[in-house]
Amino acid sequence: MSEKLVNLIADLQEEEALATARQLIEGGTDPMAILERCREATEIVGKRFEQGQYFIPDLLMSGEILQEISELAKSRMKKGITTGYAGKVVMGTVEGDLHDIGKNIVAFFMEANDFQVFDLGVDVTPEKFVEKIREVQPDVVGMSGLLTVAFKAMKETVDAIKEAGLREQVKIMIGGAPTNEQVANSVGADAYAKDAQHGIELAKHWVTSC
Amino acid sequence: MGKEELFQERFNRYTTALKGGKPDKVPIRLQLSEFMAAYAGITLQDIYYDLDKNIAAVDKILADFDMDVIGGTPSLWWAGQHDAVGAKYLKFAGRELEENRQFQYVEDEYMLADDYDAFIADPTKWILESYLPRIHEEFAEPGSYRANLALIKGTAAMMMSTGASQQAGAHWAKDFGMPLSIAGFSKAPFDTLGDTLRGLKGIMMDLRKRPDKVLAATEVLVAHNIFYGMATSGGDTSLPAFMPLHRGSYPFLNPKQWDTFYWPSLKAVIEGMWKLGKQTLFYAEGNWTPYLEKIAELPDHSIVFHVDQTDMAKAKAVLGGRFCLSGNVPNTLLAYGKPGEVKEYVKRLLNDYAADGAFIIDSAGVMQADVKAENIAALIEAAREFGTY
Ligand code: B12
Repeated sequence: MSEKLVNLIADLQEEEALATARQLIEGGTDPMAILERCREATEIVGKRFEQGQYFIPDLLMSGEILQEISELAKSRMKKGITTGYAGKVVMGTVEGDLHDIGKNIVAFFMEANDFQVFDLGVDVTPEKFVEKIREVQPDVVGMSGLLTVAFKAMKETVDAIKEAGLREQVKIMIGGAPTNEQVANSVGADAYAKDAQHGIELAKHWVTSC
Repeated sequence: MGKEELFQERFNRYTTALKGGKPDKVPIRLQLSEFMAAYAGITLQDIYYDLDKNIAAVDKILADFDMDVIGGTPSLWWAGQHDAVGAKYLKFAGRELEENRQFQYVEDEYMLADDYDAFIADPTKWILESYLPRIHEEFAEPGSYRANLALIKGTAAMMMSTGASQQAGAHWAKDFGMPLSIAGFSKAPFDTLGDTLRGLKGIMMDLRKRPDKVLAATEVLVAHNIFYGMATSGGDTSLPAFMPLHRGSYPFLNPKQWDTFYWPSLKAVIEGMWKLGKQTLFYAEGNWTPYLEKIAELPDHSIVFHVDQTDMAKAKAVLGGRFCLSGNVPNTLLAYGKPGEVKEYVKRLLNDYAADGAFIIDSAGVMQADVKAENIAALIEAAREFGTY
């Protein structure tokens, strides 16, 4: 039945998915296992998005379903048990840029893949990035930019991280339609991710090899 | 050559391509936007607030670069006009932002789900009575002394800025022999609803929760957007109306949603304007590859299809012959590439897609202050070298 749950979520069958999740929990299935199913489903959703089968409304929809199910699961978890995180990510759209649709998608998939995400929002100054990195000690920093002028802000952010002496502690990835490998190189980031799925693969790779 | 002759030559070159013909050279139309301010050494604050400087930035460009048409001034709007009515959804350099920062649009659900019925019943009434007060401080209390005054101030400012751009157009024609690339402006009804009224999250959730309302609202907007396109062009039908398209790009809507919610009303606006002799510059921001077959349903030459990240080869295959194409020198290349790379791109682009005419060269997206002047020079040089028939 938990196989079925994965498919229902991945197929965006909101009501059936919720009913199945409820049934599983009533039947004594470990809530942690349910959360794991949610993660598997998100992976499928992410792949379908990447392959052009799913679109933005589908992502928002899967977001709603996942939120409902994970709230349900978490409410049944014994107090004190916290879910383990794969790693921490600080993310934001860089200074001067307001585009956040892509960044929100990435943040959502990162969370669904067990990363703890600190989303700083849009128009994020280098100082704000540095402050947050200092505070939460993330493994990964993700910068988004949809404007070509944002590349300058990306570079300034990387420089500020360097100046703060934090560059060695984090891996930095960038994304957004006009970015590419070359831009990543020139701003001093470690990598460019073409979409959310790619970003997650990178992040996973980084936290396991660190 | 006299300025008048030069104007005529460029105008013919441009309009021949618009109509699908093969002019003497590939016309050069560049969305230079804020790059013009940077090039002229004028701060962004100045171009947003000072209409004369906004126009002076263009003069500098026209003196130095050989193009065939110009799209207008670097700033889309006159910030003073928005200050006059206390716009809450825009932030400008000199007010909330530092002097060289780009303006910002604050997206929100300014129209609520509950507003649909009133909007559908009478959009103009709803906009005047509910929407304007929500997004402008000065209209907070409709009918008040302050709000009435703001209506007058706003209207006067609108007339001042429209007047200034008309004069600028005449000045560029007379003193530089330079025609405009567009006349008028319109939008896809779904974008009107999704961009500024409901916001992204709102509209995407509406597709599932209240699809009928979305359809009814976009239908109501068809006549409005046709009228808006004609009114803002002052009746001109020699140049296309500019239509920046947002939420119809991939991956915003799946093909079924696109067919149902995005396309019918957009098609109706384009066809409505075309019946009045008005062409549309279909400024397809982002990637539109999956929807090309549908776009091909439009009457021949009713649009000029602008390519940003759409697959140019497919666009040519599906739309070529029946519609003029424009595009698509990547902005990243113009800002961060070298002149040699730009030249190479232009050469290949013109070689592959411009051979039989009906092609206009442009940047892929709207340019920004970071574009390098030497790359613009390289683009133009290459366009002349490889784009002369
Ligand atoms: C929606 C939009 C807006 C909305 C933004 C709303 C919002 N809340 O985000 C509004 C209307 C406010 C807007 C404003 C402006 N915009 Co705009 N906008 C767009 C548009 C149409 C879509 C962008 C988008 O959301 N794409 C969909 C998402 C899913 O894709 P994505 O962001 O690339 O994200 C994916 C990947 O890139 C990646 N990714 C993204 N970030 C990250 C980060 C990490 C860490 C990782 C791993 C991956 C990753 O994963 C995502 C999922 O796969 C684009 C054109 C287009 N279609 O691309 C123009 C565009 C980006 N805008 C542009 C411009 C110029 C502007 C304005 C200046 C206005 C103008 N003159 O047109 C203002 C600037 C405001 C500002 N200061 O930022 C230009 C930029 C050109 C340039 N030279 O850079 C574009 C390209 C349009 C064009 N062709 O001219 N815009």
